[in-house]
Amino acid sequence: MEHNVYIPKLAKIIEIKEEVGGARAIKTFRTAFANGSNFEYRCGQCAMLSVFGKGESMISISSSPLVKDFLQFSILKMGRVTTALHEMEVGDLIGIRGPYGNGFPIEDWKGKNILFIGGGIGLAPIWSFLQTALLKKEEYGELTLIYGARTSKDLVFREECERLKNKMKVFLSIDVAEPGWNEFVGFVPQNVLDKKPSPADTIAITCGPPIMIKFVIKALKDLHFDDEQIYTTVENKMKCGIGKCGRCNIGPHYVCKDGPVYSWAELKKLPQEY
Amino acid sequence: MEKILTKKALPQWVKTLTSYKVYFPKKEEEDRWNYVEISDEEMNLDFLNTTLPPKKLLFPQSEAFLEFAKTTENNQETLEVKEILPPEEQTAIFGVRPCDARAAWLLDEVFSGEFTDPYYWKRRNQTILVGLACDTPPSENCFCLSVEGSPCSEEGLDILLTDLGDKYFVKSLTENGEKLIHARKGLFQDAKPEDQKKAKAVQAESAKKLKRQLKDARSIASKLKGMFDSNIWDEESMSCIRCGICTYLCPSCHCFDINDEVDSVSPLKGRRVRTWDTCQFPDFTMHSSGHNPRPEKASRLRQRLFHKFQYFVENYDKFQCVGCGRCISFCPVGIDIIKVLDKVNEHGT
Repeated sequence: MEHNVYIPKLAKIIEIKEEVGGARAIKTFRTAFANGSNFEYRCGQCAMLSVFGKGESMISISSSPLVKDFLQFSILKMGRVTTALHEMEVGDLIGIRGPYGNGFPIEDWKGKNILFIGGGIGLAPIWSFLQTALLKKEEYGELTLIYGARTSKDLVFREECERLKNKMKVFLSIDVAEPGWNEFVGFVPQNVLDKKPSPADTIAITCGPPIMIKFVIKALKDLHFDDEQIYTTVENKMKCGIGKCGRCNIGPHYVCKDGPVYSWAELKKLPQEY
Repeated sequence: MEKILTKKALPQWVKTLTSYKVYFPKKEEEDRWNYVEISDEEMNLDFLNTTLPPKKLLFPQSEAFLEFAKTTENNQETLEVKEILPPEEQTAIFGVRPCDARAAWLLDEVFSGEFTDPYYWKRRNQTILVGLACDTPPSENCFCLSVEGSPCSEEGLDILLTDLGDKYFVKSLTENGEKLIHARKGLFQDAKPEDQKKAKAVQAESAKKLKRQLKDARSIASKLKGMFDSNIWDEESMSCIRCGICTYLCPSCHCFDINDEVDSVSPLKGRRVRTWDTCQFPDFTMHSSGHNPRPEKASRLRQRLFHKFQYFVENYDKFQCVGCGRCISFCPVGIDIIKVLDKVNEHGT
């Protein structure tokens, strides 16, 4: 019989890393399937995670598909399911179904410069491709990361970002000045305008809070990026993940199935309701 | 295959169907009919339409997807997840109005595609829909003709019955329909040309009696596109009390929620359940952060109409409305989809 799309596969949490503490805590979870299930996915796709007894939540996969040992999710503690996930420990079992969504069209981006622009937890959905591009560096041009958060303590993958500076251009920012911070102070779109990345042969990928995405796109337009050069990954409330439950739509598109990745050229044609 | 079945023979036919779970409309209160599993004396097709469409028999208001249970043995925790598919049972629903059958035909689209829905299809594949053509419009607000349906449309049905007074004109539309007739072949006579003529006349007469009409529905789909930011959504949704009845009674609305129901926390035991949900509730789209893409009543009325008359048309080239009129008749504040769409026709370009 055909596999039932609503039944998750069991996976064990094999590693938990606290990225950010406090009220807007973020943890990174690495999971491995209990019975070694195959899970082929593309950069930018998502998975529906289950905490049995609490429910499901759609989370972007932040590990590279080239790494086969684990699936990684970086999760902001926010609602019922993500709060329950934050209370879980190594060895606990969760459910995973998917992968869902279109993912980034990375085959089309070979040879191009890639500009990653993230805000807060918005680094997670683009991290998968960033890791992949680093592992296949010869296939891409120059790699650049512009990433910011409210405070230095809210930056996800902080140590990794520092280490990345040996391999690619990394520009970090925080919203308000702090003692000891010697990088950019201000919002992410302002940092984009400050660093003036060139649109030549470049694809820009941005993810973060909706308001940040809006102003990053505006900044990129000011820097003469074409609509087709700007990609973003959208999120909406989801339940089924397969385009049937009816709530994540932007116009005739279901973000879970037809998204979450859109070029600005595509997204701007849809009703601005996300 | 076209046959004749006397009304007297209908119960005899139904009684033969012992391997089927059989549903008929039943009068439950004044003016309120509902599909129920029948006993012998209730085979009455002398009704207008049910309040709740037969959708609930293909896509129940609430159904469990899976059960989960945690067990601990020698300090080793295991979690068991068990799929719960609908039971195997051949089902026949009698007296399905053509509009409600067309709605099932629309749900077929939604629950197919790249990902098929195993729960819906298990039920759908084992259910035979025996339709009843409307000899009079069941509701004052019927407008099936405006959305490419008719009082005798056949989409979604296995058999269509047309009332010819003391007998039914029986048109079998699918293999499953034939199978059902073959279960008691002897009760049916071959239809004569004059029976066919009579059936056509009944159907034509009924179409003439429709009181409501939506003008040029196809042009609405394209006009809506330019009216996303129109202020008519504010005006038309002003009186909405967001009860959601327009969607809960709709035969083609398919939105749902998925939640875990817990019987025991320790040891953990419970099930995952799908329930109908509605785009008319504010938390339908609210992110856990509090951000809501559709925070206003206006945006939710707009979503309902856009989904039915623009997005669905774009995705499937069909309206996601069958013109049954339930959302109009039962709206407690009188929001009337035809009047709203008339305004779209009037203001749109």
